[in-house]
Amino acid sequence: MTDFSIIGKPTAMVDAAEKTTGAGKYTDDLCLPGMLVGKILHSPYPHARIKSIDTTRAERLDGVVAVAIGKDAPKTYGILPVGHDEYPLALDKVRYVGDNLACVAAISEGIAEKALELIDVDYEVLPAYFDPEQSMMAETNLIHDHKPNNLEKDYHHVFGNPDQGFAEADQIAEARFIANEVTHAAMEPHSTLASFEIDPHTGQPGRLTVWSSTQVPYYLQHKLSLVLEMPMQQIRVIKPLVGGGFGGKSEVIPLEIIAAVAARKARAPVKITYTREEVFWAHRGRPRTIIDLKTGVKNDGRITAVKARVVQDGGAYCSYGVVTILYSGALLGALYDIPNIQYDGYRVLTNKPACGAMRGHGTVNVRFAFESQLDELAARIGMDPAEIRLCNLLKPPCITVNGLRVQSYGLPECIEKTVNRSGWRERKGKRPRGRGLGIACSHYVSGAANSIIRSDMPHSTVNIKIDRDGGVVVYTGASEIGQGSDTMTAQIAAETLGCSLSRVRVIAADTDLTPIDIGSYSSRVTFMAGNATLRAAEEVKKLIAAAAARKMDCAIGDLQFRNDTVFRKNGHANQNESGGDSRPRLSGLAQRREDALQPTVSGHVEGQILRGSLQQKRKDEFPKNSMTFEEAVVAAIDFHGALTGTGSYAPPQDARGGKHKGAGVGPSPAYSYSAQVAEVSVDEDTGEVTVHKVWAAHDCGRALNPVSVEGQIIGSVWMGMGQALTEEMIWKDGMLMNPGLLEYRSPSSVESPAVEPIIVESLDPEGPFGAKECSEGSLAATIPAIANAIYDAVGVRLYESPFTPERVLAALRARKNAKPLNLTEGIDPTAPTRFREHGGSLCFKGKGPERHALDPARRETPGGSPK
Amino acid sequence: MSLPPFKVLRPRSIDEAVGYLEKHVANIRVLAGGTDLIPSMRQRLFSPEYVLDLSGVAAMRGVRPQSDGGVEIGSLTTLRVIENSGFLRQHYPVLAEAAATVASPVLRNMGTIGGNICLDTRCLWYNQSLTWRKGCGFCIKKDGDLCHVAPGGTKCWAAFSGDTPPALLCLNTEIEIAGPSGVRRIPLQDFYTGLGDSYRKLQANELVTRVFLPASSADYRGVYRKLRVRGSIDYPLAGVAVVMRHSSNGHSIGHIADVRIGITAVNPAPLLVKGATDLLAGKEMNDLLAEAAGDLAAKTAKPLTTSALTPEYRSEMIRVFTKRAVLAAAGMN
Repeated sequence: MTDFSIIGKPTAMVDAAEKTTGAGKYTDDLCLPGMLVGKILHSPYPHARIKSIDTTRAERLDGVVAVAIGKDAPKTYGILPVGHDEYPLALDKVRYVGDNLACVAAISEGIAEKALELIDVDYEVLPAYFDPEQSMMAETNLIHDHKPNNLEKDYHHVFGNPDQGFAEADQIAEARFIANEVTHAAMEPHSTLASFEIDPHTGQPGRLTVWSSTQVPYYLQHKLSLVLEMPMQQIRVIKPLVGGGFGGKSEVIPLEIIAAVAARKARAPVKITYTREEVFWAHRGRPRTIIDLKTGVKNDGRITAVKARVVQDGGAYCSYGVVTILYSGALLGALYDIPNIQYDGYRVLTNKPACGAMRGHGTVNVRFAFESQLDELAARIGMDPAEIRLCNLLKPPCITVNGLRVQSYGLPECIEKTVNRSGWRERKGKRPRGRGLGIACSHYVSGAANSIIRSDMPHSTVNIKIDRDGGVVVYTGASEIGQGSDTMTAQIAAETLGCSLSRVRVIAADTDLTPIDIGSYSSRVTFMAGNATLRAAEEVKKLIAAAAARKMDCAIGDLQFRNDTVFRKNGHANQNESGGDSRPRLSGLAQRREDALQPTVSGHVEGQILRGSLQQKRKDEFPKNSMTFEEAVVAAIDFHGALTGTGSYAPPQDARGGKHKGAGVGPSPAYSYSAQVAEVSVDEDTGEVTVHKVWAAHDCGRALNPVSVEGQIIGSVWMGMGQALTEEMIWKDGMLMNPGLLEYRSPSSVESPAVEPIIVESLDPEGPFGAKECSEGSLAATIPAIANAIYDAVGVRLYESPFTPERVLAALRARKNAKPLNLTEGIDPTAPTRFREHGGSLCFKGKGPERHALDPARRETPGGSPK
Repeated sequence: MSLPPFKVLRPRSIDEAVGYLEKHVANIRVLAGGTDLIPSMRQRLFSPEYVLDLSGVAAMRGVRPQSDGGVEIGSLTTLRVIENSGFLRQHYPVLAEAAATVASPVLRNMGTIGGNICLDTRCLWYNQSLTWRKGCGFCIKKDGDLCHVAPGGTKCWAAFSGDTPPALLCLNTEIEIAGPSGVRRIPLQDFYTGLGDSYRKLQANELVTRVFLPASSADYRGVYRKLRVRGSIDYPLAGVAVVMRHSSNGHSIGHIADVRIGITAVNPAPLLVKGATDLLAGKEMNDLLAEAAGDLAAKTAKPLTTSALTPEYRSEMIRVFTKRAVLAAAGMN
């Protein structure tokens, strides 16, 4: 059935009014009586042993209630079961500049900040590692004692026969690509408010409530329980409005645990809100990645083999690292039909903030390399870049060579539509000099088929309750983080029940109220929580239908639910239905309002608790051909008792991947697809790149809310453009040189290109109404599309992102053999060989930071820097 | 990051303002638009006991054309007003253009011309939080004794990063400074020291009150070109202002009669490019000449790693932008 009344129509977000008027409450807006402000002391050293920590002076300061340190919660945690390597507050060692040492809880921010200056820490500074390839050679002073060579994890996968594949190839391209580090830069900085109730029996802190800006309330509840050594049922996590996550809130961020530890010690509610600088230190963004990529193609365009060696500069803790390095390999598959794949992935520890999950988790940097190289190979065999992509399509339903199940596959249509809309065939290669077009494709999972904690537990569960007045309440653990989760939930419930959207209220992400959902990450919410919502709504619908069929004296199968009415398909539909969408959703309510003006049998006006008399009236009228939703609900409650339903979703077994080590990451019940064409111009004197327009097609299965899908596509292109052109975390000796939004340059509205979003609907057999993900898959295509467009414009290929003006200019100069200019610290961006200590946009030729004369480290190692 | 505690003083007149400055000379900062001071105070670059809020001094606002054809601009005049002033756009276009490139519209609504002239020099090792600066052991400009940008040196290289001063220098601007001993008027060129730390010649008890653009600089063609990564918000990574007047030659553009080139963001002070007039005056503009002007400007630029993008690149862009700017000023692009 394609005739929907709610889904498929552009729908305003259910929380739009709250957000746009400022009435909505984010975590930092919350306040409790007696609440204290928490401030965290961060390490000034990239790698040091803590010899002692003395908080006495800080505690003595007027207005300071408590100072929490590592010993107050000496338990490790981490988002992955294999990566429990973080203490809430450092116990014996700090591992990056910004690592957490202590937390002051005080009556004001100013006092807390002052108290931080009074905490005396004695450090023994250790040699630190900043370059992953050097870090991998380390034998002493390891970042974590149990990780030899500072290697978090390495994987070596061979699928098919790569050697034979390369032997069959007519053309082979091989190159090193480097993608520098980027972070989410979500608008809302992280914030957590933690409050304990006093246990009436012991007088000690008892139940804990935590309000936090999180994408994963249940994981937070779980980690809090581990660290605080409390049962999960004693902990309630509530997610207020969240101002963007992009993966940066998809795991437990230090402040979330620290706030609870500090609140327990201070015996008062504690709120911590990160400064922007702290957000950069908490990080969990996309790691700097070295990709050594080799691809072989036949002259007819068929890819014969791919070999990738990927090194990720993961930072000081595991975070999602093991998953990231696996995604980087696994998602080489499932976009094109590649018969032979060899993958060697290394996730390396360095003394920098931990990298984690970020929009397009794991796939983005490798996709940049792959799509660039494919473009290069197309040029070599004299094939159109769009054509070579069409030569390598999968033939679904199928299982890829690395065990990924693909059922719905809108990629061909995505390519075709972007090519047509952008005028690719007429315009490619025919633009004036300095202007060019580039194409690239990408894909992403609609939720991981295996949860972080492997179990057969459903990934999403949704409860629905309907009261006698026809109000539908949906309880979902899914986290609305601005992506439209609540709206999607309401839409699916309303569509299934045939009621108007305004009847549906979504209660989300409160661990005391809502059933378990593993959270908003890996683009899983629409597919998984959506399916759970659909199932819950169908369960309730069955109950209503049974009662309505009895009242209307017909078979359940004859009933249709639509526009707040339950009616017999074959009977004469009431007027409201015959009009279809012309008098749509509120018609039922409008009818009720009209009824309300008429005195009912008992002489009262409806709406004033007149159920008895209303039912009397209804009884007189039955049987009939239709009932209002409300009447049907009343009938169902009279008939069944309480009207509730539950639905849950777990990915099917055959979508969960192969058997090899690391096979758990990459499989998904469905994949989204994207193709993009970017049009850019390059200023050959300055190297500045301007993106004029991006045509972006995205296969999202079915667009439940087209305006939201378009927003996600535009947002992905924009964020991808940031990584492609301007965004880069710049380091010097472990110091982040640009920990703020002034120097970390996300694009502003001025350089945002026109984006033409093109929705492609491939209708996935398992998605709710055929829907798949739409929020991450598009990002990865933008970077190579721009890179390929730069190549088309000026004939230089950039192997290192972002394509800052100096890199582009250096590449142009290198090609033209013009006056040699050391624009990027001697690194040719067309052939990068090694990581610079910093990204390359800054070129510090000196010795780097030395310590201040009064610096304790300097006093201990007189006459030199502590290194 | 909280603001450090301070007391606000709100004078109504210049005299009252100077009186406050004199009284609390050791421990006071001047607040005009606040776009630079407030973030710096949060970063604990300044923790003054008193903040002198000038917003009530009406006499320091406004663009006042003079009878001789020049103009006097109150130092509290916002960049937005300057950008939109019909008079300035017509007669001193280079200033209006430079003002329009500062930061973003929201910041230009607050930021003032006086503030832009007095703008603190900037460096990635300096414009950071207290916590951050502890990590690098501080620097010569604040709390420390060494420079991370030119290690071993004792000079501070923080870059002057205002957009309007190179334009003002080209216009032979003078500024009025009020202090306890009265009012003095100096060429803007003499205001900057060329040092990154004590970058301006302004005593702690003095105030820049007015900006004078002489009639002799009016009606020059003017162009400002700014290197930045984003089209908005960013400080200049390199900036070039050019003013140019042609000898009248009937209706067509004749030889260059006078020209000045100012650069910013690549030295601890905004600078006029010496020798630019000699190079260009009396000649007809062409590509080669423009390139020579670019080379000359690039020699004046001494960028170091105080901001994003490598010094080599920024220096190169001074060359490219100067070439483009002089061509544009000559109506040739």
